[in-house]
Amino acid sequence: MRFAMRSIPVFLLLMTSFSAMAQSSAQDIVAASDKVRNPGQPFRVTSTLQEYVGGQPRDRVVLTVYAREDAATRQFKNLVRYVDPPRDRGKMVLLDGTRMWFYDPASKVSIRISAQQRLMGQASNGDVMTVNLARDYRATLAGEETVTDADRQARECWHLVLAAATEDAVYSKIDYWVERSSNRPVKGKYYSDSGRLLKIAYFRAFREELGTARPTETIIIDAVDPNQVTTLNSSDYRFETIPEAWFQREFLPRLKVE
Amino acid sequence: MSTQEGGPGPLVARLREVVKTYDDEGLRVTAVNGMTFDIPRQRFAMIVGPSGSGKTTLLNLLGCIDTPSSGRIEVCGQDVAALSDNEVSDFRSRYIGFIFQNFNLIPVLSAYENVEYPLLLLGTGAAERRERTESMLESVGLTAQREHRPSQLSGGQKQRVAIARALVKGPELVLADEPTANLDSHTGAAIIELMRRVQHELAATFIFSTHDPQLISHAEETYTIRDGKLIEHRSEAA
Amino acid sequence: MSLLLKIASRNILRNGRRSLMTTLAIAVGASAMLLFGEYLAFMILGLQTTMVQRIGHLTVSRQGYFELGSGNPAAYGISDYREVMKLIEDDPVLKPMLNVATPNVTLFGIAGNFDVDASKTFFGSGVVPSDRERMKQWNEYGFERTAPAQAPAMTDAEPNRGVIGVGLARILGLCERLKLGDCPARSAAAAAPPVSRAVKDFTELAKGDLEATRAAPGGGLPRIDLLAATAGGAPNVVSLYVARAEPQGVKELDDSYVVMPLGLAQQLLYGRGEHKAVGIVLQLHRTGDIPAARARLAALFKAHGLDLEVHDFSELQPVYKQIIGMMGAIFSFIAAIMGVIVLFTVVNTMSMSVMERVNEIGTTRALGVRRAGIRRQFVAEGLLLGILGASAGLLAGAAIAYAVNHAGLSWTPPMQARPVPLRLLSSGMQALVIGVWLGLVALATLAALIPANRAARMQVVDALRHV
Repeated sequence: MRFAMRSIPVFLLLMTSFSAMAQSSAQDIVAASDKVRNPGQPFRVTSTLQEYVGGQPRDRVVLTVYAREDAATRQFKNLVRYVDPPRDRGKMVLLDGTRMWFYDPASKVSIRISAQQRLMGQASNGDVMTVNLARDYRATLAGEETVTDADRQARECWHLVLAAATEDAVYSKIDYWVERSSNRPVKGKYYSDSGRLLKIAYFRAFREELGTARPTETIIIDAVDPNQVTTLNSSDYRFETIPEAWFQREFLPRLKVE
Repeated sequence: MSTQEGGPGPLVARLREVVKTYDDEGLRVTAVNGMTFDIPRQRFAMIVGPSGSGKTTLLNLLGCIDTPSSGRIEVCGQDVAALSDNEVSDFRSRYIGFIFQNFNLIPVLSAYENVEYPLLLLGTGAAERRERTESMLESVGLTAQREHRPSQLSGGQKQRVAIARALVKGPELVLADEPTANLDSHTGAAIIELMRRVQHELAATFIFSTHDPQLISHAEETYTIRDGKLIEHRSEAA
Repeated sequence: MSLLLKIASRNILRNGRRSLMTTLAIAVGASAMLLFGEYLAFMILGLQTTMVQRIGHLTVSRQGYFELGSGNPAAYGISDYREVMKLIEDDPVLKPMLNVATPNVTLFGIAGNFDVDASKTFFGSGVVPSDRERMKQWNEYGFERTAPAQAPAMTDAEPNRGVIGVGLARILGLCERLKLGDCPARSAAAAAPPVSRAVKDFTELAKGDLEATRAAPGGGLPRIDLLAATAGGAPNVVSLYVARAEPQGVKELDDSYVVMPLGLAQQLLYGRGEHKAVGIVLQLHRTGDIPAARARLAALFKAHGLDLEVHDFSELQPVYKQIIGMMGAIFSFIAAIMGVIVLFTVVNTMSMSVMERVNEIGTTRALGVRRAGIRRQFVAEGLLLGILGASAGLLAGAAIAYAVNHAGLSWTPPMQARPVPLRLLSSGMQALVIGVWLGLVALATLAALIPANRAARMQVVDALRHV
């Protein structure tokens, strides 16, 4: 009896700390999954985007992506350089947090891509790729679920519900499934402010790159226009020292990249 | 019936070295070439002479519808040249009556309205106007034709209306240029008779310019002019 | 005076045919100006009525929105717009002038019907449907109204239901579903090309998720997606159920216009941020109150430290003033031409009259009439001709207007999509009638002055010499 009574506060303490732990560990899970996708140090990677419309392969673009996490904002900056097709070679896109700039070496002019212009097409996929979710979203654990991944394999996952925590958060809500055993992201569903599903993303083809098994293929399905599917293959990961200047718009015309 | 200035003198007109020249298609014509004479009041006077002798011009000067190029002319004691255009018009409306060879009635007015016209110009009151007009029409024997337009009247009737119009206001001076020229001799005689009668009644001065021997035979004063000059002046006793 | 008019009127009658021709010329001028003026009035006031019905008299917006904001409406939202509206509606000066006050949102984005792979940039308006219906009843000038053929497309009760332009409907492949007519024949489905096996799997996988998120179908109405970036820069999408397509007068607008309930527009434009209004539309009872209302609003905003500005409908739609200016110029031009014709006609007629009466002029002068009296006589004739002609013309014009108004004619005004009954506006046109009458009478009188002066200046003896 006395044991029971003494255990109640302990039990209550355990309960609250467990739920607190559940909260913080939800955020930890997300952070961990971020690390699976994004190496902690500046790196470069070759991305191949293949667009499918109604199942038919269409445009194929090969990009070199230089990525670097900003220490202060914990947000990613990406400098993307077009490699293929040849007519686009040399063009660049700079993603600085939520701002996107397009640079054409022929005209030496950089123009801002507004949020309006990123509603459709490949520019809209950038938001799926570059984000450190833990920074901009507040995660809560919805439960444990078994989810079919892109290879039709069943995965035991944490189902996390991410709510926009900052003004910069592009999506108002994300349903996120992370494999329990490995913290690998499996699937994501991204929602707009109006509650409509905007994109579905699947992460697959995990390979050891730069010290961790990372998803080298991401499949993004446009939920508004479901005919549009994009696959993104990442290869040739390399740590690289990338000067801060590369991510400044004014520097773009002077940039000499291999 | 007194004049504006000078009071009722014995003369209705005085001419002193009156000259009138005008341009006729580039040619300088001297119509009146230095006339000096007087015309007494209340007489049946005639101005006679050949065509182009200046009769009409003299009549115009006497009627104050023209001004002399030089010299002085007094009508009813008034030096007309000294008056402004408007004053001359007013002067005419009060003192001078005209009878024209071609009757010169206003076509859109009836006989009554034509006779009434000068009284309206003078601002005569409605009652007096009616009285005088009716009486004048009766005098000339046209009471029955009072509503007729000139186009509905014979030559003789028109001239009678003209006479009535000239006299309705009781003018000092009546000027008539060939009043019987467009009338047959029978009508002409009647008109002459009429004019004599009213001249007597109203004690007005009549000055005629005429060729008509019938008319001339009634003259009390005869002024013969030629080439713009007075040749002869004959005066009959009353 | 009566002698003057007696002689004048009798002389007019004396030359019956000539006087008739002159009177007719003046009458035609009067009729033409009256009818054209009434037509213009009808057109302009009709245009004004349509504009005021659609966009009200005044729009309140943030400082700078009118000049800079259409590219970025989200940046120029009015915070606490409900308070501002209450401030306006409760103001003792504005309250009696105000008919409707309603908030609106303008935005742009991409409209898509992805079932048929069609999308187009759209220009959108978020409105309060019941307020808009009230605004459509405005009719200060008493135009006759045809009862609307259908019930209003949008109601407050249906927050997802809207209207799009006909051109946009066609572009989005909704021609048949919205019964637009002239729909392109549906081409036979092309043989499906061999699909990449890998992709096909994924779309099947996604299907479960996609169907679950499809918005509930709304009464069988076609659904389109509206994509826009929120004020915060996030991509956003809402579903709109299209009640019908309505033609917009201008093609560019017709190809991109979407009207939706205010709440939906706010959801799309502001997303998770504060839902603001981009403009507050005010419709007054009378257009003439605009200056007073503007002044009061400016004072009100200043007193409360609000950085808002006001524009009236002619500023928002500059074409209105342009049309008025153009019509005014045309009217002036026609009036000038008519005036010249009347002038020439009267001068000619009176000159002939003077020429015919030279002898009479001499006689009259000999009788003692002054020069001014002669002048007055002929001017009086011109005056009478003017009065006769102008009066006859106005009466004829009124008769013609009556006939036209009952002939069942119709026309399509500029910026409008549908024809309306053609009317010559006869009521409230006193200024026009009086102006035309006085103008022509004055013109005829002045025209007569020229020959009258000539008559007055004649030398008596010369005149008498004339036959």
